[in-house]
Amino acid sequence: MSTTALPAVYVPVPRRASGFRRWTEREDVFSWLMIIPPVLFLLLLVGYPLVYGVWLSLEDRPVARAGTFVGLANFIADARDPVFWQVVQNTFVYTSAATILKMVGGLGLALVMNQDFKFKNTVRALMLLPFIVPTVLSTIAWMWILDPAFAPVNWFLRNLHIADPGPSWLGNRHLAMMSLIIVNVWRGLPFYGITLLAGLQTISPELYEAATIDGASTWDRFVYVTLPLLKPVIYIVTMFSVIFTFADFQLVYVLTRGGPANATHLFATYAFDLAMGGGQLGLGASVALAMLPPLALIIIAMSLYMKPNKP
Amino acid sequence: MANIIRAASRRDVLTISALSAVGGLLGAARAQAAPKSMTMMHESSFIPAYDAFFKNTLAPAYEKATGIKIVYEIISVNGSQTRLTTMAETGNGPEMANLFFNWAYLFDEKLVDVTDIAATIGKKAGGWHDAAAEAVVVNGKWKAIPFGNIGQLMNYRMDWFDEVGVKEFPDTWDGLLEAGTRLKKAGHPFGFELGHGFGDNHGWLYPLLWSYGAREVEPDGKTVVIDSAETARAVDFCREFFEKTMFEDVLGWTDVSNNKAFLSEQISCTNNAESILYIAKRDFPDIGKVTGQAQNPKGPTGQRFHMLNPLSHGILTHAPDIQAAKDFLVWLMDPVQAGAWYDVAVSYYGPFLHAFDDAPFWHAEPRNLPYRDSLPTTHLPGWPAPISRAQSESVAKYVVVDMFAKACAGKSTKEVIADAKAQLTQIFKPA
Repeated sequence: MSTTALPAVYVPVPRRASGFRRWTEREDVFSWLMIIPPVLFLLLLVGYPLVYGVWLSLEDRPVARAGTFVGLANFIADARDPVFWQVVQNTFVYTSAATILKMVGGLGLALVMNQDFKFKNTVRALMLLPFIVPTVLSTIAWMWILDPAFAPVNWFLRNLHIADPGPSWLGNRHLAMMSLIIVNVWRGLPFYGITLLAGLQTISPELYEAATIDGASTWDRFVYVTLPLLKPVIYIVTMFSVIFTFADFQLVYVLTRGGPANATHLFATYAFDLAMGGGQLGLGASVALAMLPPLALIIIAMSLYMKPNKP
Repeated sequence: MANIIRAASRRDVLTISALSAVGGLLGAARAQAAPKSMTMMHESSFIPAYDAFFKNTLAPAYEKATGIKIVYEIISVNGSQTRLTTMAETGNGPEMANLFFNWAYLFDEKLVDVTDIAATIGKKAGGWHDAAAEAVVVNGKWKAIPFGNIGQLMNYRMDWFDEVGVKEFPDTWDGLLEAGTRLKKAGHPFGFELGHGFGDNHGWLYPLLWSYGAREVEPDGKTVVIDSAETARAVDFCREFFEKTMFEDVLGWTDVSNNKAFLSEQISCTNNAESILYIAKRDFPDIGKVTGQAQNPKGPTGQRFHMLNPLSHGILTHAPDIQAAKDFLVWLMDPVQAGAWYDVAVSYYGPFLHAFDDAPFWHAEPRNLPYRDSLPTTHLPGWPAPISRAQSESVAKYVVVDMFAKACAGKSTKEVIADAKAQLTQIFKPA
């Protein structure tokens, strides 16, 4: 045996990675590095405007002029404004009606889409269209559909000699709110449908088989298998939908601008009119901020009653 | 050895890029001495040829004369106030902008004082109409150069009026009510906007209020006097007018609705700018032949009124070269350029300068003459109170419009006036 023989197995000497590289690859450091960019993004584009909005609402701030701090004077003015209370009522009616309709309709849509049939995938893709088309465009189309002179429904009523010129979909205060709810449901149904469909797909068919063996009817299967397992998805999608519907702007702005006589004004549109039309940035901010307490209450209520308990 | 060469190349690259960056900055700094271009923010006009004329004729002509490029930024209809708000608040963006209504007052602190060039322009073109000053003079200083008034007058179907025996457009509101009743029975109702638009509703409702001798606030700008017998009479008339001549849908109309309805022959009369006749002549010649225009009717006071909606051009204080912007406005408002621009829009914008009182374009379409003749009786919403922020808040909250609209929808006169009074008291409260 030679004293300079190589060892039987060649063990490579590990190259030391640079100190910085090793530090960043530690899990706790790396996770922070990944979180910081989005958090900064949120702080700048969401946090800063929110804080600025709160500050604005506490000021008498005419456009193009310096503001003077007035404390809660804007909110007191809102409380005394009859239009503001009309707006509160409108927003609650609009949000609750639209959400309930979307939830029921979306669930039905998802259940149907969960079946197996020809062109299933095409139909699923087409179903998304109302949600994908830019809101302003689809709303302008609805403006023509709801015009009594051109509305298909009115055309039928006229030709069947039932009514002439037929209901005024955007001129009558109650019909206007109803029309807005219908357009919102038309637009938001796919969001519910697709998300609930995804949730339905995660339910194992074996559970349905087991239920059927135990003698459950279709309705029983729905109530005791589908619904409980869908609860987390329903909770999340409803929460998102409530937040977006509560703060809806585009639909109302294009169709009625808040009319007739404030029957369809929502928080967002009223705040916009006050700030941009009236040049009162502080007052507008206060109306927009007035959205937060009721919305927070709704979210908390939903969390208490709808959130599934962790097993 | 190879390492040293590679390191040197890296160093060279860094040096070269650093030097070129510094050089570039210096170059850019020197280029900012004279403006290479200025931007004018303008709301899209209902007359497409008007916008095209600026972009294709006026801007290139100015660039040829002075070397400064003028960019024409178009904002969609009813969007310019929002755009102006962002420009004024951030101190960024176009140097010049168009203004409507009382925006010269709202944005007063961010607008350059243009009293000097207003005097120059006025002298060159025969002086300004009185109505011009009502909208742009703030604390004695001109804050914008008025360009033209977008009159809101009565548009009507001459043939249908003739059929029910009304040969000339009625001179009083009661006469119009009578005509409308006959026309509704004949299947040609009226269609006046009572919804949340921005022009065609104010265009007849404020004049209606004024012609009955009513007003929101006294000339002192503080005393709310909406609660008066005159207002009650105006509201009662409006309700009767709505019930006898119109249909429910007008309560939800916005500014495009009445154009749509008139051009699809659903209505026989409405209040609008010259856009209906313009589009009718271009796209619906048969309707265009029988469309007439007339001044607003007189009320019990024997007076008629019209709404002032002045399009003006202002300079923002953040403009890098204010003198260059002023020079451009003086050139723009020179009778040669301005005259050609008015001409292209065929009197849609009624000039505020006396030099154009008898311009050819008024006679090119005689039916537009009422728009010119209405100028002495035009006022801003909020008149007779002086220009103020509270005015804008009242307009933004649709106080007067909703007062009439709710009455037409069925609420009692007492209730709607009480509502309006409560709102105005809140809005005009002493600061």
